[in-house]
Amino acid sequence: MRKILVPIKRVIDYAQKIRVDSSKGPQGVQLKNVKMSMNPFCEIAVEEAIQLKEKNKGAEVVAISVGPKQCTETIRTALAMGADRGIHIETKPDVRGDYVDLQPWAIASLLKGVVEKEDAVDLVLLGKQSIDSDCGQTGPLLAGLLNAPQATFAANIERGDDGSFTVERETDTESVLISLSNNKSAPSFTWQNSTTTLGTETIKLNACGKPAVITCDLRLNTPRYPTMPNIMKAKKKPVNTISLEDMVKELGLDLDEVLTPQNEVVEVYEPPPRKEGETVGSIDELLGKLKEKGLVA
Amino acid sequence: MFSLTRRLSFGLRYTNVPSRRNESNSKKLRGPAAQDVSYFRSVLTRPSHGVLDGTASHDVKDEIDKKYNTDWTRHYKGSSDLVLRPQTTWEVSSILKYCNENHIGVTTQGGNTGLCGGATPISNEVVLSMEYMNRIYKLDEYSGVMTCDAGCILQSLHDYAEEKGFLFPLDIGSKGTCQIGGNVSTNAGGHHFFRFGGMHGTVVGMEVVLADGRVLRLNIDNSEDGNNERTHQFQQSSASLRKDNTGYDLKQLFIGGEGTLGIVTKVAVACPALPTSKNVALLVCNSYNDVLQILKTSKEELGEILSAIELIDSNTMNFIQKYGAGNGDHLMTELLSSETTSKQPLFILVETQGCNQESDFSKMDSFLTSLYESSTIENGFLAQDSKQIEEIWGLREACNPSVAQAGYVHKFDVSIGIESYMEVAEEVSDALKKSNLPDLTVCCWGHVADGNAHINIISGKFDGDVNEAEAIENIVYSSVMKRKGSISAEHGIGQSKRKYIGQTKDEAVLELMSQVKNLFDPNFILNPGKYLP
Repeated sequence: MRKILVPIKRVIDYAQKIRVDSSKGPQGVQLKNVKMSMNPFCEIAVEEAIQLKEKNKGAEVVAISVGPKQCTETIRTALAMGADRGIHIETKPDVRGDYVDLQPWAIASLLKGVVEKEDAVDLVLLGKQSIDSDCGQTGPLLAGLLNAPQATFAANIERGDDGSFTVERETDTESVLISLSNNKSAPSFTWQNSTTTLGTETIKLNACGKPAVITCDLRLNTPRYPTMPNIMKAKKKPVNTISLEDMVKELGLDLDEVLTPQNEVVEVYEPPPRKEGETVGSIDELLGKLKEKGLVA
Repeated sequence: MFSLTRRLSFGLRYTNVPSRRNESNSKKLRGPAAQDVSYFRSVLTRPSHGVLDGTASHDVKDEIDKKYNTDWTRHYKGSSDLVLRPQTTWEVSSILKYCNENHIGVTTQGGNTGLCGGATPISNEVVLSMEYMNRIYKLDEYSGVMTCDAGCILQSLHDYAEEKGFLFPLDIGSKGTCQIGGNVSTNAGGHHFFRFGGMHGTVVGMEVVLADGRVLRLNIDNSEDGNNERTHQFQQSSASLRKDNTGYDLKQLFIGGEGTLGIVTKVAVACPALPTSKNVALLVCNSYNDVLQILKTSKEELGEILSAIELIDSNTMNFIQKYGAGNGDHLMTELLSSETTSKQPLFILVETQGCNQESDFSKMDSFLTSLYESSTIENGFLAQDSKQIEEIWGLREACNPSVAQAGYVHKFDVSIGIESYMEVAEEVSDALKKSNLPDLTVCCWGHVADGNAHINIISGKFDGDVNEAEAIENIVYSSVMKRKGSISAEHGIGQSKRKYIGQTKDEAVLELMSQVKNLFDPNFILNPGKYLP
């Protein structure tokens, strides 16, 4: 196995209370003085990449992030978990990463360029969605741009000796098994009928020399803690920082196209506050109130 | 069920060490009778909920026994037949006035999470539960002072403060159940004592009802109390100010007074601003000397953002692995597979809280690097997001519940000079090995930066042998007292440590404490049989 590319996103920490200033319109979500962390699903992707690297000697895990200069912290965390090097596409401080300015199409376009530039990328592992925009689009868009095979919501990933990936993915009802292959000589797509046991279905996909694109879901693994020996090693690992403008130029893209969002955020507001409940003194009182509200005859 | 205290009669004296003072007062106390119950019903606004009369039915008696007559450690069992649950200060006042006139003993109870039996009736005193007095009145956005009822559950105060961008300065493992009135009355310490100080500093005002029913308002705003007109004799009240040097600071007597001088009904607490940046690391080191180095380095490298340092020893960590890791299973596996020179490594939790993520992270980074490069720590686990922060704290909060499942726990909470912190645990361990007491594991964890060690000695067998308990107590307390330490750093006195107070305090101090008690509660109705020797 050669390279595993793991795009990671720096988002507001999941436990933080989101504050919205509606007077600021689309820019309403407060980012100042708010704790930021790596997107939890991206953490799972990094963990999976490292586990695959541990099983396949010689594989290189590359963490990549698009955002302001603080993203290097997020990349360092990935390195402290075990990634080998990082790429930071640095945006100017006023560019918002949370869907307002940078959106999945822009990120996917940049990632496509990086994949082609890096060459020898066997697998791109992403989180299934980010917890700020909840889009879940970057992975599938990237696969489409690359014309690559994809599997989303992965709950288990196995790599075959022939370079194929067998992915068990979460569906609403059953677990479905998809197999992605790098076999150039075989036809691009083969259905394999199998008996459905315990709600799983086996599908084998043959791709043609493109990296597999897999997005990771919650059950895939539990991300490890950055530990001291690895934190120390991470300080020496290289992180290549390049400005968004320079990267766009290098990849032959149009800066305006990248920075102009495909979707416009019209309004941001907090959900209406939950109304306070009422305490009643007895069952009779409860029945009385329910009748009053017309909920009970 | 087992109990270490011998069943007491009306005399309400702790049998081992008879009270030298005020003995005659307590002899006059009696339990409630039917006419008393009728009176209480008449003063409560919701008597159907407010009065639990154990003499009325078996079910009610069962409820009282399970919920109010037993403490969290299950070491203490009372035999109260009557629980009163008032909703307003006025009701508390009427109840106490009546009990005072009729010499009826009253034990106040909050969340019933105390570890010294202080909230458990000794005999058939009336239990006064604060659980229905749980309104939060306000939080001043400039001073950060939060005003609320004493029955508010600590977690709800944390949530309310967080909504408004503030942090409630007290944080303890039982916060999902304990009530602020109880916290104040026991002067609870907690994880952030090191950073925010104790209740003596953070409580800026309170409303307290005295034994004779008088209501004292000490620097607390009463405009939200709907029952103004029915409250007896309230003093001039004022909004809760941060500073007020006009007279003896009486509220300090009630903080840590364990309900023996008055019943706290409202509190005003000063809350700091909510820090937006939190970092937590779990460190693994080989010996206590390394821990001392960690403490020193933390002051130098982390300085003002350091908010907690907690120690957990190997024995405790092993029990947590067996009984309580929960979500932290994953962390536990990584933790215990760390390679260490010592077979009994020590684990240190370090937390920082500040308002600038970048600079805080860089401080934490240089702190950890400095410790690692000097070989002070063998390993360190740095939480990278809130989930991992919760897991690490989860391990620390699992200490108490985990050992409780491992066997019978002899609990000690001591204060010693930081340099000698582990000495007591080691000395006790050696002494127990030499004694003829079998199968005992000494666990030590706690707020190491405060010099506060929770020493828990777990016995393999589940029955509480009184002689064994006394022998262990003697070994632990003599080890502490010879180092001029405190036999109760934060858990208080309650029932369990009463007999030792006489031995650890000067005569003049004991005399004055007794006189204060006589002044505030001459009939000895408040929490009889507790606190004072």
